[in-house]
Amino acid sequence: MATPGVRGAAGVLRLLPRLNPTAARAMLVSEGRLLVRNPGVVIWAAILPVAADIILGSIPGVRAPADALGGLSFFAVYQPILIFFGLTLLALNALPDVLTRYREMGVLKRLRTTPVSPALLLFAQLTLIFAVAVACMVVMIVVPGVVGGAWPRNLVGFLVSYLLGAWAILGLGMLIASLFHNAKVAAGFGSFLFFVLQFFAGLWWQRTNMPPWLRHISDVTPSGAAVQSLMDSSEGHWPTWLHLIVMAVWGIATTRLAIRLFSWE
Amino acid sequence: MPVIEVSHLRKTYGERVVVDDVSFCVEEGEIFGVLGPNGAGKTTMVECVGGLRHPDRGTIRVAGMDPSSESAAFRETLGIQLQESRLPDKIRVGEALDLYASFYPDPRDPGDLMEHLGLTGQRSTYFSKLSGGQKQRLSVALALIGNPRVAILDELTTGLDPVARREVWGLLEGLREGGVTLLLVSHFMEEAERLCDRVIVIDRGRVIAADTPEALAAAVQADQRMTFVPSDRFDPAMAQMLQALPDVHTVTTDAGRVVVTGTDNVASAVIIALHEHGVSVGRLRVDQPSLDDAFVALTGDDAVDPVVGVDAAGTSQREA
Repeated sequence: MATPGVRGAAGVLRLLPRLNPTAARAMLVSEGRLLVRNPGVVIWAAILPVAADIILGSIPGVRAPADALGGLSFFAVYQPILIFFGLTLLALNALPDVLTRYREMGVLKRLRTTPVSPALLLFAQLTLIFAVAVACMVVMIVVPGVVGGAWPRNLVGFLVSYLLGAWAILGLGMLIASLFHNAKVAAGFGSFLFFVLQFFAGLWWQRTNMPPWLRHISDVTPSGAAVQSLMDSSEGHWPTWLHLIVMAVWGIATTRLAIRLFSWE
Repeated sequence: MPVIEVSHLRKTYGERVVVDDVSFCVEEGEIFGVLGPNGAGKTTMVECVGGLRHPDRGTIRVAGMDPSSESAAFRETLGIQLQESRLPDKIRVGEALDLYASFYPDPRDPGDLMEHLGLTGQRSTYFSKLSGGQKQRLSVALALIGNPRVAILDELTTGLDPVARREVWGLLEGLREGGVTLLLVSHFMEEAERLCDRVIVIDRGRVIAADTPEALAAAVQADQRMTFVPSDRFDPAMAQMLQALPDVHTVTTDAGRVVVTGTDNVASAVIIALHEHGVSVGRLRVDQPSLDDAFVALTGDDAVDPVVGVDAAGTSQREA
């Protein structure tokens, strides 16, 4: 049921002028402190892909080109998958979890009674989650690179792919937080979507080995497009326009929908 | 010049009329009570005043501003203590107050406020470790941190034990002296009787009474009621003797106690009459008609059987 000012784009956007830099900084500090005191979800989301990436990257045999993977090494195929794995886990599990719980607890509603916008809290959480994801990504590139693995050969292409992929996937996380008001339901749906996206990213069945029709579907998912773009950039190519556009469209669509559907209570 | 003006407010959720043609004014510096049974529409009404819901009809002005604008100036003028709003478990009391203080241009000093509210000892305590009374006091503190002219306090003593409840009442009396106008939502008559300058009683979304608590209590014209234990055997003849007194309306006995109702003079008339028969009264108790009696008389017997749909509508609407 639509209630003006409570739900919908108008409800979110009308409070945007109430963003205030002092309050934004205070909110970021406060949320950061809470994250450090309650790091469970974030550590869980970060530790598995980072550990897997470092272990795989440290084994020379894994870094050798393999015919079964179209001449790419096992590590070259899995590094982008693992980087996106961490990002997805943070965006689809950690982010909706904290936002839906804040909504259930009435934190967002309480913020609405103050002169600042509750959107400050959303920005603070997005910033923190994104910062953790970037930190994981950096570790996942630097550590294997230092121990003898390959560095991304097209760093600009790699970063552009990462940013667009992050936008698409964080947008999906925000959309889950907008669609589901029950934290447990949101977590369940986030996990389901996580596995679907990992499938299309090629976690179990590498994209190079997918039949063409399945790869075409994977191409238009945010995870398939992001992983392929990261892989192309690592190999020194530029990501294809198709994949960049797919990620941007997911980013725009999920952001718009999330803003339209989000409610403070 | 009233600081809150509400006229002909109406709010519906779908087919259900939750607030219907409600009008009232609150003067600066008053403690104004909104009373009513559960589900009467009190919370929806004050959430309209707080700009959290938008009325279907009617106008609201708080210090001359329209709440639905949700302007920063409006939010600085009005502090709201929400029913059942929590904070993250691991935020400390001092941190929460500092954070919310940073939202306002001219906040109160968090240290002073903590001292005023008896929270100084809890400055470094996690929210999850606070007692119910401490959580409520923190909630009141957050509503006041911005130094508002007007504060809405919704059911702030519900779920508190009697000691904590009295602590919060003492605090509100202190606020009145500080000149803050309070809109207090309650279903505790004792609370309203002690704190409120004026009250309105809402039932099924409508205002059914508006006056001072004393005037409302007097208006129901309930009898005075005295109970006592007689020093000697209380036989039917004695009861008939009392019943014949002009000030007495009813006489009943209950497990050795005698209950007499009647006019304002019933107590002295009964005591004198019994004295003349050589009987004295022990464990005497005289009850004035209270706001409780007025409330029951006004809202009727089915007040305990509230229109459940109303608050449920608010909740399901949030879940939708």
